[in-house]
Amino acid sequence: MFVPSVTNPIGDFVREWVPKLAEYLPAAIQSDTLNSVVAFLVNAVICVIAVCLVNIGSAPILIYMERKVCAHVQCRMGPMRLGWHGTIQTIADVLKMLFKEVYAPGGVDKFVYFLAPLIVLIAPFMVAALIPFGENLLVANIDMGIPLIIAINGFGVLGILLGGWSSNNKYSLLGALRSGAQMISYEISFALVLLFVVMISGSTNLMAITQTQSGTIFDWTIFRVPVLGIIAFVLFFISSTAEMNRAPFDIAEAEQELTGGYHTEYNGTPFAMFYLAEYIALVTNSSLAVTCFLGGFHAPCLGIAAVDGVLTMIPGVVWFFAKVFFMIWAYMMVRWTFVRPRVDQLMSFEWKFLLPLNLLMLVAGAAYVALVG
Amino acid sequence: MFPDLSSLANVFPLGGIDIAFYVVAFVMVATAICTVAVKNILQSAVFLIFSFVGTTVLYLLLHAEFNALAQIMVYIGGVVIFVIFTILLTSHLGEDAFSTKIPRYFAAFIISIAFVAIMVKCLLPAQGLVTTAATAPEGFASLKALSVRLLGYGADGFILPFEIVSILLLATLIGAITIARRGKEEK
Repeated sequence: MFVPSVTNPIGDFVREWVPKLAEYLPAAIQSDTLNSVVAFLVNAVICVIAVCLVNIGSAPILIYMERKVCAHVQCRMGPMRLGWHGTIQTIADVLKMLFKEVYAPGGVDKFVYFLAPLIVLIAPFMVAALIPFGENLLVANIDMGIPLIIAINGFGVLGILLGGWSSNNKYSLLGALRSGAQMISYEISFALVLLFVVMISGSTNLMAITQTQSGTIFDWTIFRVPVLGIIAFVLFFISSTAEMNRAPFDIAEAEQELTGGYHTEYNGTPFAMFYLAEYIALVTNSSLAVTCFLGGFHAPCLGIAAVDGVLTMIPGVVWFFAKVFFMIWAYMMVRWTFVRPRVDQLMSFEWKFLLPLNLLMLVAGAAYVALVG
Repeated sequence: MFPDLSSLANVFPLGGIDIAFYVVAFVMVATAICTVAVKNILQSAVFLIFSFVGTTVLYLLLHAEFNALAQIMVYIGGVVIFVIFTILLTSHLGEDAFSTKIPRYFAAFIISIAFVAIMVKCLLPAQGLVTTAATAPEGFASLKALSVRLLGYGADGFILPFEIVSILLLATLIGAITIARRGKEEK
């Protein structure tokens, strides 16, 4: 009987231990099928917990960080009262939001209204499962990594469109339509930059992409291809900011014009889910940037033996999250520094500047691969 | 007291894949019925998405990963989103859903029954239909194998059609950008 299995060193460990523990069971129910089914279920639960831990656990940290970064950019202190430097503030806010009554305003389509926040959460959670956080810390090591990421990003647009329409509010609908148009447009640039990375590293598997960047800092995709790497990184940064609907590309919310965009009518847990999706997308997009451009979990070795010895002693997970938080900090600084462009400026920037530039980048990348290797 | 797992293996010879197939097939049929039965047109678009997701899972069960992703990209990421955009921009969703008269229901019922009967009659003679991935060589439909076959230079490769199609698509894309630019300048 065929039972699917999770191929991973941690998965091997579970598969080794489940039969040993099963010997204590009554002999009547012992069987290899039961062992493999139980091992698979245990592995699946471990995978689910790992993804949830990274995603849900990082959201309160990011909300606190966003408030502090925002405050310091604007010469304020930010939350200071609850706990040391306001550290408990976010937890209090999360608790408040979860205990609010969940209700829908009159005249909404309840089925779609409560379905939309769930759909928005699909893409960030699935992308988090594909990212190699360390040498062995990877939930799904699949060959189709990059195509899968490109494919499931479409669910985000879907959730926003459905949520905006079902709210039965013209501001929500306008916000949803704007944001849908924006995300569909910037998805093209996002996909093309990822294809550039695939072309340079010669694989669509995120683990293999990380492995090709091992060695010194000059083997990372951003530095390996002279000039092109840095341009591609900047393009990725811009298109992923727009893809996440973060300022300066947050015309979906645009609180001055649309009072909050597609989630105007949401409250309590459904609103928390939209909010969570936004912050998980921040983590996954930063992780993607780190994996594709900044060498993943590899230490930033400089080629000097003494320094490299010290740097490689630190485990890869630490390097990975250090790089991820640097990227998140960069996204936050951009958010609180730049002004929001108009809708038409945003769209023409994508279609008349980013997209042609991306096509040129692909051609230049192909030329690089053909000539240099 | 405990279910005997070895008898389960007789009912579902392929194990998890068999069970998953029946679950997915049931969900697909149910959502497909909902798609045509629901009064609200946007809700039927939502059920259509679920049905497409079911098709994706079927492709995955057959180890055709690239087909599965193409299904998501083209149908969910492209077609359904444009359907929803079109619904949002054109239809009068707030108004009452239209209802059809009894004779029309009757005619539709007769036609669909006749169609199903003919389909079943055509499918029944086929013996030994093989619908599992087990019969295909390992990694037959993986990205690498697929692209090697698609982009082969030999007699069974499709490199020339592929290049011609890609140039056509590139020309379309550049044409769209050019049109967008010209529209702005004329203002």
